[in-house]
Amino acid sequence: MAISAIVLITLSLAALGGFWLVSSNLGRAVAQWRDRVRIVVYLKREPPAPEAVLGRVRAIPGVSGVTYIAKADALRALKQVLGKDASVVDQLPANPLPASLEVTPSAAAATPEGARDLLGRLAALPEADEVAGSADWIERLSQWQRLLTTIGLGVGAVLSVAAILTVTTATTLILHARRHETEIMRLVGAPESTIRLPLLLQGMMQGLAGAVLALIALMIGYSLVAPRLEPLVSLTLGIPDLMFFTPVGILTLLGAGTLLGGLGGWLARAGREP
Amino acid sequence: MIEVHRVSKVFSVGPVKVPALREVSFRVSKGEFVVLSGASGAGKTTLLRLLYRDDLPSEGDIEVLGHDLVPMRRSQVAPLRRSIGVVFQDAKLLPIRTVYENVAFVLRVLGAPRREITARVFDALRVVGLSSRAQAYPAQLSQGEAQRAALARAIVRRPPLLLADEPTGNLDDAMAAEIIDVLKDIGAGGTTIVLATHQARLARALHRRMITLDGGRVVKDEG
Repeated sequence: MAISAIVLITLSLAALGGFWLVSSNLGRAVAQWRDRVRIVVYLKREPPAPEAVLGRVRAIPGVSGVTYIAKADALRALKQVLGKDASVVDQLPANPLPASLEVTPSAAAATPEGARDLLGRLAALPEADEVAGSADWIERLSQWQRLLTTIGLGVGAVLSVAAILTVTTATTLILHARRHETEIMRLVGAPESTIRLPLLLQGMMQGLAGAVLALIALMIGYSLVAPRLEPLVSLTLGIPDLMFFTPVGILTLLGAGTLLGGLGGWLARAGREP
Repeated sequence: MIEVHRVSKVFSVGPVKVPALREVSFRVSKGEFVVLSGASGAGKTTLLRLLYRDDLPSEGDIEVLGHDLVPMRRSQVAPLRRSIGVVFQDAKLLPIRTVYENVAFVLRVLGAPRREITARVFDALRVVGLSSRAQAYPAQLSQGEAQRAALARAIVRRPPLLLADEPTGNLDDAMAAEIIDVLKDIGAGGTTIVLATHQARLARALHRRMITLDGGRVVKDEG
């Protein structure tokens, strides 16, 4: 019974920890991509005084920074992109590229709603011809992250309840085996804490053992999966590596296991005074 | 020491109400040795259980060692029990512990200092005449010895009140007489004793105050 309690705590924490790992790595990608969101405002014509336009844009709520890109700068950038084919640009009768403003939204505006609002405000500028950019796909990534967190919490919660019940049952069986001892202890006036503390400690030890096993399982899983997934993750999500738990995360997981086991031990039916 | 006032106890067995005690009243003074007699089912065990707050009366008031037991909070029960020794017909010894360990167990769980435990355990074993059997296991004891070990466990804390529920119920006359002698010795030391027994001859032979229960009522209080 004690072994099944440990196994269930291991399973619940491994599931919870697994989802937590995936979610936190996705969270890193989302945070990184949010920093890279840019909105480009293409201007109808080159303003005679760009500083004045920049000043008005900086005053718009949700703008963290803004850079003016003149027509000539845009053409230079295009040539750089074209590389050895840059001579094509020289054959154009005139520079077709518009001047633009590259706007960096603040963190609050790097969401679909924030970005939409900001796009609307930027499009309302009299100099603006067209506004491009959105944070939709980043938000979709963020939604996946939230979904994974929710699933992880759900699965973890169900398994945690099962683990608590198993520890409770295991402790109740132990109590049954020791019922004469407990009866004598109550009869002579032993404090309830003296009777229940060993059960609490036993539950906590089972929980801690389950958490350590879950951590070992997650470490093995991480060391097997991470090297294979990192190239793909780097290419698609832009994060260079997959992170394991921080020391705080490890302590949290161990603490959660100890808490689960302790709760199960404490909830065991030891009989009560009337 | 003990004051029981118009105490009734009714057990519910499904829809059926079974009265175990009906308006029981009596007082026991400090140092008194009282025999609670009556046939099986008269309500003796129920009454003793109420006295060490293992159950609550349906009606009435009980005061033990200055504590009003009815409104007592659960957290106050343990401190009360530390002042009461209880022995049963079944000695309730822990089978995997020696006599010494069974008696010492009580002091250990109550947090007595280690150096005090040995002296107090051997003192209690001396009172019940079981010093030579300290290292024996319960399975190696006669019923009389087991009951004396249970008595040692009950008195090792030197409680001012000892409740004995049919401690001689499983014993032959000779062994019963030994237990009664031990109880008398303990009583002579100033401990208040309430002894419940269905053995009328034994109860009369004690020449102590005897409260007789019948059908949950006190029918006689004499001596």
